[in-house]
Amino acid sequence: MRPEALQHGPSLFGRLARRISFVLFIGAALLVSAAWYYAETAANKAYDRLLVGAALQMAESLSVEDGILTARLPTSAFELLGLADRDRIFYRVIDTHGQTLTGYDDLKTPTPLERAQDPLSVEEGVYKGEPVRIAHATRILADPAVSGRAYVIVAQTNEARLALTRELTLRATILVFIMSLLAFAGAMLAIRYALQPVEQLGTEVRGRDPHDLTPVTVDVPRELDPFVSSINHFMGRLNERVDLLQRFIADAAHQIRTPLTALTAQIDLLGTGKLDKAGRQHFNRVKERTSELSRLTNQLLSHAMVIHRADSVQLEPISLVDVARRAYRVAIPVTVDPDIVISFEAPDDRPFVLGDAVSLREAIVNVIDNALRHGTDQRLEVRVRASGTQAFVEVEDDGPGIPPESWEKATQRFATSKSHEGSSGLGFAIAQEVANAHGGTLGFRARDEKGFTVVLTLPLYKGEVK
Amino acid sequence: MRILLVEDTHDVGEAIARRFEATGHAVDWETNGRDAAEIIDFTEYALIILDVMLPGMDGFEILKRIRKSGNAVPVLVLTARSEIDDRVGALDLGADDYLVKPFDFRELEARARVLMRRHTGGEATNLIKCGDIAVDRGTRSVHVGKREVQLKRRELTLLEVLVARPGRVFSKDELLDQIFGFDEAANANAIELYIGRLRKKLEGAKAHIVTVRGLGYQLVPGDAP
Repeated sequence: MRPEALQHGPSLFGRLARRISFVLFIGAALLVSAAWYYAETAANKAYDRLLVGAALQMAESLSVEDGILTARLPTSAFELLGLADRDRIFYRVIDTHGQTLTGYDDLKTPTPLERAQDPLSVEEGVYKGEPVRIAHATRILADPAVSGRAYVIVAQTNEARLALTRELTLRATILVFIMSLLAFAGAMLAIRYALQPVEQLGTEVRGRDPHDLTPVTVDVPRELDPFVSSINHFMGRLNERVDLLQRFIADAAHQIRTPLTALTAQIDLLGTGKLDKAGRQHFNRVKERTSELSRLTNQLLSHAMVIHRADSVQLEPISLVDVARRAYRVAIPVTVDPDIVISFEAPDDRPFVLGDAVSLREAIVNVIDNALRHGTDQRLEVRVRASGTQAFVEVEDDGPGIPPESWEKATQRFATSKSHEGSSGLGFAIAQEVANAHGGTLGFRARDEKGFTVVLTLPLYKGEVK
Repeated sequence: MRILLVEDTHDVGEAIARRFEATGHAVDWETNGRDAAEIIDFTEYALIILDVMLPGMDGFEILKRIRKSGNAVPVLVLTARSEIDDRVGALDLGADDYLVKPFDFRELEARARVLMRRHTGGEATNLIKCGDIAVDRGTRSVHVGKREVQLKRRELTLLEVLVARPGRVFSKDELLDQIFGFDEAANANAIELYIGRLRKKLEGAKAHIVTVRGLGYQLVPGDAP
C-alpha cells in the first residue's frame, strides 16, 4: 500500500531545467560568436580607416621637385596612426620605377601592386613574422619628368584591433550572460509556477482520508485533466470494489447466520428427552458440530471484517480499558463453569491507543475465547496495563499453554497444536491481523508457575484526548 | 415475567419462546418490526429480545424509538449482521446486551435473566465496600482492589449478604434463606460449596471469609484497619 516501491524517474522540473539551460547555452554561444565576428569587423573597419587615411596623406605628400620624386612625409599621418599607441607601423614609398623611395625595403602588399585593381586596398598580411594589416595608396604622377604610378604601403600590427575586438566581445558576452541568466531564472520560475498544480494535486491526493473515495476536486490546468480523471476513475472503481466487498460480507453474514441460528434453534427444540443412548450420542455430536460450525462462521466473518476495516476505517483515540472490558463481557459467557476464577484488571490511568474499537474488541474477544476454550483450567485473568510507550492487553490462563516452538504456527490460520484439543481456528490470526493494523504485535509469554499469557501490545496514544 | 420477543425467523422465535415459557415467563412474539414498535408503546415488559434485521422496521430503529420515549426496559439485541461498516454498535444505541447469531440458547437465557434481575433489583446506593472488596449492586460487579472479578449470580448474592454487614456472623440456615429463597430446595452443603468458590475467587484480597465453628461465616476487612 505504501509508495516505497515507486521508481523515481527524473523530475519534470529537472528535465525542463536541463533542456532550457541547454538551449540557452547554445544560444549564448552563438551570440558570443556573432559578437566576436561583429566586434572584429567593427575594429578592423575603424582602424582600416585610419590606416588608409594615413596612406592617402602620405601619397598626397609626394611631390616632384626639380624632376625628382620626393616624399616629405606629413607628421599628421603618423599622429593618426599613433592613436593605436601599442602598435608598430611600417611604411614604404615606391617611386614610379618600382624603387623604394623611403621606408622598409621588404614591405610588400600580399597582392602584387601591378595587379591591384583599386588605387586603395587594405589586406591581411605578415611582416617580420607578425600578423599585420597592410594598406596601399596609389598616386598617379603626370609630371613631364616623373610620370606613372607611385605607391605608398603602410602596415600596422594588430594589437589595438585585437584589444578593441576583445573589449567589444567581452562587453557583449557580459550582456549575453546576464540575459541568459535572466532568461533561465524566468524560465525556472515559469516552470515552477506551471508545475504547481501537479504538486497541489499530489498534496490533495496524499492528504486524503483513506476512506474518502469521492472524486478529487482540485482546479487543475486543462493539461492535467486526463490525469485527474484517471485518478477519479480509479477511485470510483476502488469505491465500487470496497462497497461490493462490504455488501458481500454483510450479506454473507446475514445469509449464513440466519439458517445457522435456525439450525441451533431446531437442535434446542429437539431436546434429548425421547432419544435412546445411541440417539443421544448422535444428537450430541450434531450439537457439537453445529457449535463448531457457528464458531468457525463467526471467525471467518470476523476475519473478513477485521481485514476490511484495517483498510477502510480511520483510527481514533480510544480507551483501551473500555474496549477490553467490553470484549471481556462479550467473550465470557454467563453460563461459564462456575469453578473458574475469572477476573479483569485495569490500571487507574486510562491508557489510550489509536485504534478501531470494533476490530480491537474482536481481537481481544478472540484471544479470551481461545484461552477459555483451549487454555483455562481454573483461572483466567485479563489485564490491561501501560508502560513506557506501549499499552498491553494480557490474557493469562492456568492451562498447559502453547510451547514456544509452536508460537509462530499458532498465529497462522487454522493452525492445530498438539497440546490443545481441536483447532484454535482463526482466533490468533484475527488478533494478529488487528495488532498489525494498529502497529502492534501479538505475542506469547512462556508458561511460568502462574500460567500462560497471550499479550497484545499496542503503541500508546500520547496526543490529546477529547 | 412478561417478555417481548421480536424475531422474524420462525425456528429461532419458536425455540426462544419455548425456552422462556418453560421457565415460567409470558412471551409475546412479534415477527414484524412495525407491529412490535406499536405494541411497545402501550405495553410494559420486563425484557425485550430484539432481532436487528426485521421486516417493517429495523431493530436498531425500534431500539432508538424505545430510548427516545424514555422507556428504560432492558433490551437484548440479537444480531446476524457483521460489523463490517457499523459505526455505532447496539450498545451505543442503548441496548443492555447483545448476542451475535448463532448463539447458545442457554447463554441467551442466562443473559436475559441477568438483565431482568438488574432491572427489577435496582438499588439506590450501589456501592458497598468491606476492606478492599467492593460490590457494585447496580452493575453487579465485584472488585478486589483494582481487579474486577467475575462472580456467578448466587456467589454474588452471597457476597452481597456478607459485605452488607461486615463482621457479623451468618448461620448456614440464614444464608440458605437469603440466597435460595424459600421455594428452592437446597441444603447446607450448597452453602459450603458457594463459600468455597467465593473464597477462591476472592483470593488475594485482604478482606476474607472466616468460618466460625458451629455458628457460620463472617466477612472480615482484613489486617487493614
